[in-house]
Amino acid sequence: MSGFLELEKIKRTGFWPAVFGGGILAALVPVINTAVREEVFLQQDGSALEILMNENWQMMAMLNLFFLVASACLLYHTEYADNAIQRMCTLPQKENKMFLNKFVLMCGFCLIALAIEGAGLIFSAVRWFPADEKILWNGVLNMGYAFVLLLPGTLFMLLISAACKNMWISLGIGVICVFTATMLPADHFILSLFPFAMPFQIFAGTVPAVLKNYWIAVGAECAIGCFAAVIFFKVRRLFS
Amino acid sequence: MNFISLLEVELKKIRRSGIFIILFAAAVFMWIPAIFHGDVNFKTQADIGIAPEYNFLIQGFMGLAWFMFPACMVVCTVLICQTERGNHGMLKMLSLPIKTGKLCLAKFAVLLALGACFLFFAAVVYFISAGIVSKTQSYDFMLSPIFVLKETGLIFLTSIPMVAFFWLLSVCIRTPIFAMGVGFASIVPSVLMINTKFWFVYPMAYPFFAVTNEYAKLAESMTPKRIDDVLWGSIALFVTLICVFVSCFCFGQGERR
Amino acid sequence: MNIIETKNLRKTYGDFTAVDGINLHIKQGSVYGFLGPNGAGKSTTMKMFLGLAKPTEGTFLIDGKKFPKNRMEILKEVGSFIEAPAFYGNLTGEENLDIVRKILGLPKYSVEEALDLVGLTQYKGRLARKYSLGMKQRLGLASALIGKPPILFLDEPTNGLDPVGIHEIRTLIRSLPEKFNCTVLVSSHLLSEIELMADDIGILNHGHLLFEGTLEELKNAARLKGFPTENLEDMFLAMIAVDNEQRGSRK
Repeated sequence: MSGFLELEKIKRTGFWPAVFGGGILAALVPVINTAVREEVFLQQDGSALEILMNENWQMMAMLNLFFLVASACLLYHTEYADNAIQRMCTLPQKENKMFLNKFVLMCGFCLIALAIEGAGLIFSAVRWFPADEKILWNGVLNMGYAFVLLLPGTLFMLLISAACKNMWISLGIGVICVFTATMLPADHFILSLFPFAMPFQIFAGTVPAVLKNYWIAVGAECAIGCFAAVIFFKVRRLFS
Repeated sequence: MNFISLLEVELKKIRRSGIFIILFAAAVFMWIPAIFHGDVNFKTQADIGIAPEYNFLIQGFMGLAWFMFPACMVVCTVLICQTERGNHGMLKMLSLPIKTGKLCLAKFAVLLALGACFLFFAAVVYFISAGIVSKTQSYDFMLSPIFVLKETGLIFLTSIPMVAFFWLLSVCIRTPIFAMGVGFASIVPSVLMINTKFWFVYPMAYPFFAVTNEYAKLAESMTPKRIDDVLWGSIALFVTLICVFVSCFCFGQGERR
Repeated sequence: MNIIETKNLRKTYGDFTAVDGINLHIKQGSVYGFLGPNGAGKSTTMKMFLGLAKPTEGTFLIDGKKFPKNRMEILKEVGSFIEAPAFYGNLTGEENLDIVRKILGLPKYSVEEALDLVGLTQYKGRLARKYSLGMKQRLGLASALIGKPPILFLDEPTNGLDPVGIHEIRTLIRSLPEKFNCTVLVSSHLLSEIELMADDIGILNHGHLLFEGTLEELKNAARLKGFPTENLEDMFLAMIAVDNEQRGSRK
């Protein structure tokens, strides 16, 4: 129930249009790219989705990360802007719970954006590539994997936003994190585990053993993120 | 109140905002990967015939011009707008005998100053990084300060239309997520735009285009694109003037409604 | 019976002592006026009661519950308004209260009730950021009063209100113990205001509790110490001035 409260708090902040706008913008990347470079794409080996993901996902993932950074900053900015956080802290609810609710909300937004992006990829595959019966299922798998890999980044970005009262500070830290992620080599497993670098990974063409490692890494990072959030809110209260 | 005094006032407003720490951290993080991948510069020399020391600087500046600098400018626009709108500071400013256009221009100048400051940090951290890589790779990566200054100046100059566009976004779009979102989203396609014939209509691509062209000039196996400087300059000036004019016109309209 | 009791409660920020070992005794069903000049430590004390600031030393009991062990239980019983109204500017007054209502698990009609209590019903559909200063203050009060909590902490609740509004809110605060059987801790820097609302008074200066008792007891104490008692404001100012002098000479 309390998850819906967070939904209520973001009324009139422009979140909904931003989710759909961001999703549509990212979904347009494969559509436009394939329309312009149809011949180059069709000459490549592999399944339609694999080619499309390889050619477009870097840019799409970056748009997703930017959306993530901006929306996480704004979620806590609504709390800090008119000091609503103070009232929230004087109500019988834990800050951890509010954080978790915001995380769930962010996950929902990511799902919507990824669903739109998935639709863009599937449209491009159906429109320009030879027919593939499993395209829908593959699309779901790819976007599902992308969603899971977005979770640690979402968690850590939200934590950064919760820690900084000034939106530009959290936004600045987020930008630095995204930039660092783009500089890290995607084929280096350990470095690619940086929460903001994980969303650049692609499901298509990845061997099951590597996928499993990423699943474990996501689980571990989420656990660390949650633990860090609990500790952070406790420490902040101690030093208030 | 003259423009210089107004500029001083505007600079005072961003005191203790923490933005300089963020900008410095961004400059440091920008060069860290380059330090770790110092050996790659020799490989690039073999591939395209560019001296490692030039490759080190220009590759770093490419990341700066494509992503870090534009993204940091978006963050700075958020800072300037939020400090003013946050505690109704804007209302106070509008109630003072200052022309809103002048105020808007002063804020734009602050944004440019922050940009210059970030580029200064990036150049300083470059020299430190080049020093470190010179030691680790036993090769002199240090370039002449004049050359570094020239490249930094080029990024600054070519980014003015882009900064003006970001400023326009932050003034005209009052919903923060849209202003930020449009700003960030506009950064991503610049890497595609520089490969098209119409790169000059996209101000966000200017600094990246300029640095990439510098790279091509320094690499033996690459051919720099021929640019009509007068045409580019005219378009850039037009974009800047339009953005600044519209932002000055729209500035404070929301508060005066 | 005391519903709130503090024991040597102290709060320091670096080398600055905001609250210096105060012992408060607030009776159940009373209005306790917390009086003191700006920076005396009134808000800090209230913040400590709400867990917004951690006491450096000392303890306190609220309705027999101890902080920090029973913080959540304490917050369930308390309605608060600290320093300035806290709200979501992008939501209407009604929506702001609805969020608080849901967290407290109150019935839907409590929003209307709270709006009605502070006279905001007419403006409930307006965005909170577009409220006037007085309306924001009323919204903050409504957010504290929602669900008729048994304990209320109100920090300078009449700030920003017009004379009619001040009168309304004072009357409302005065009537709360009788109407809802609640205890109110209300702070102000004006003795004349506290006089009209409070049963008991606590005077704070530079973090020290200078006096605690009823208004009559305060007058008697002042008379004994040679302070003017005809005008309450003069009496208060004289007390503070003497305390400041003594503090200065001690330094």
